[in-house]
Amino acid sequence: MKFLDRLRSWEGLLLAVLIAIVVMNVMRSPYYLGVGNIVNLFQLSIEKVILALIMALIIINGEIDLSVASIMGLAACVLAFLFQSGVPMPLAVVAALLSGLAAGLFNGFWIAYVGLPSLAVTLAGLIGYRGVARIFVEDRAIGGFPDWFNALGQQPVVGPLTLSILIFVILFIVIAIILHGSAFGRLVYVIGNNAQAARYSGVRVKLVKMVLFAASGTVAASAGILYAARLGSVRGDMATGFELDIITIVLLGGVSIFGGSGTIVGVGLSILVILNLRNGMGLASITGNTQTSVIGALLILSVLAPNLAQAVRLKFKGRET
Amino acid sequence: MKKYLLVTTAAAAMVLAMGQGAFAQATPGADLDMVLLPKFLGILPFDQAHAGALEAEKELGNTKPLQFLGPTPENSVAGQIEIITNATTQGVGAIMISNNSGDQIVPAVKAAVEKGIKVVTWDSPIPSAEGEDVFVAQVDFAETGTVMADMALSILGAEGGKFAILSASPDAANQNAWIAAMMDALKDPKYAKLEFLATVYGNDQSEESYDQANALIDKYPDMKLIMSPTSVGIVAGAKALQDEGLCDTIKISGLGSPSEMLAYTQNGCAPEFALWSFVDLGYLTYQTAYQLATGTLKAEEGATFTAGRMGEFTITKDPTRAVGLRILMGPFSIYNKDNIEAAAKE
Repeated sequence: MKFLDRLRSWEGLLLAVLIAIVVMNVMRSPYYLGVGNIVNLFQLSIEKVILALIMALIIINGEIDLSVASIMGLAACVLAFLFQSGVPMPLAVVAALLSGLAAGLFNGFWIAYVGLPSLAVTLAGLIGYRGVARIFVEDRAIGGFPDWFNALGQQPVVGPLTLSILIFVILFIVIAIILHGSAFGRLVYVIGNNAQAARYSGVRVKLVKMVLFAASGTVAASAGILYAARLGSVRGDMATGFELDIITIVLLGGVSIFGGSGTIVGVGLSILVILNLRNGMGLASITGNTQTSVIGALLILSVLAPNLAQAVRLKFKGRET
Repeated sequence: MKKYLLVTTAAAAMVLAMGQGAFAQATPGADLDMVLLPKFLGILPFDQAHAGALEAEKELGNTKPLQFLGPTPENSVAGQIEIITNATTQGVGAIMISNNSGDQIVPAVKAAVEKGIKVVTWDSPIPSAEGEDVFVAQVDFAETGTVMADMALSILGAEGGKFAILSASPDAANQNAWIAAMMDALKDPKYAKLEFLATVYGNDQSEESYDQANALIDKYPDMKLIMSPTSVGIVAGAKALQDEGLCDTIKISGLGSPSEMLAYTQNGCAPEFALWSFVDLGYLTYQTAYQLATGTLKAEEGATFTAGRMGEFTITKDPTRAVGLRILMGPFSIYNKDNIEAAAKE
């Protein structure tokens, strides 16, 4: 029960921070509340926040996927390469998605069935998939995609909302239901808490992990395709380094890096905190290292605050636990 | 009748003369938000360009302070797009971009243009030129070859000698174009005594370039000169020569920044090298963007304008791209012991 309280208070804290940021932004910039700006605020980081949702599942499950950004790059490069070789765009999109699924299954196989640590396997993936992506595209930039494809990444489809934003919202709802309302979701937590115990109680640990990594690869590929559409052209270095931003969002959301705890609402709040903070700083012309430092400081605080709070509590209670 | 003819001829001549002299002039004192966006923050040339832009700002009396915004190096592409998008939201008057994102920047730039924002690129253009009003180019790439060949000739003198090239990475587009241009220039008989040995690559890393320079020294005992068309390579190579105590017999030249090369020019390792002035580039870029945004200059082929202290410029087709317009700054500044001290302070 205490555990649940702590979680609830963490989300409460995020909500308070979010409100503070929004109030500050409203006061500082007349452009902040414009519909266009709010859409841009999501659009500029949309691929990262889509991936943060699936990353949350993986980290709650007690694993990590460092290869997501490289899979994004791989899918985008497969897409661009096939398109340039004359394959019709819809087919190229399907092939790009399949390349992400394949990469995810490959990760999942070594982690779930061979039992290698996900940190090592996906670190290899981070390097390996990026390498393959670069083989496809070399040092070129491939663009000139059909207009309908670029429009998918750049133009609104429902009201002011783009396809990427819709996908994010739908994925958020689906993952919330899976994680907090389904048997599969409970297994994700159980395995994350203690994979050994779960295995002994007959949970199909391998299958759950395999499904998660396959899903991660596929979602990463979708994000890569959306990114290609948003930028209108593809390079081999696309999305390099995104994995760290994605993991940052998830951890700030209150998901434990050791697995077993965290909620999708926390991750959602964390996304809103980071995006609004970035946007506010951008509109106030704070960029570069200053912006990175502020977000870094926020993360350090987010790691320190709960531990500090706990330490203080223990001191006052005379170490009763 | 004769008189009438005379008058018309005179009038026509006057119109012609006026037409030729009609360089667009800036109207100072505008109230214009402008953003100078480098590839990333934290390296000297971009700070110099910033200084040059500030100088132009002061001269033109723009009442709004220039925003110098850039991403961190590891976040360059996404960061540049984010900065352009936020500048578009704010409805600034002009954005000046040293593009590090290839054509991936195009959708963000197009959104800016749709909002009536002028987009000037400098240092590095948008390959497809989409959304870009004009590119302010530092130097002509072909000229780089001649400048390098001339420096090699002036250092080695009439008796000539053997030289090697220490470049950046094997696939660096700029350096490859410059080396090719130099090889082209060397075909001229006046460079007949210059003998090319080999090209090595230090990947624009100090450590690697230093090692590659040492390898050249060991491999070619009769080498007299290293040409390095990269500001990282030339410093590392100069240090290698100095550390080996070889500056009397082997020299280094190429493209470098005066403040980093000061010591090596003064001690004779690098008697002469070249670069363009990033201060001037920033100044000219600001002048161009200001005049486009205030409407005294139109971004079209053949348009001419006066850019403050730098004098007159003409917008032409960009010969280095399939499409797009260019303003060519040029020329190179050649640095030697006579002028390097002053230049290093910029």
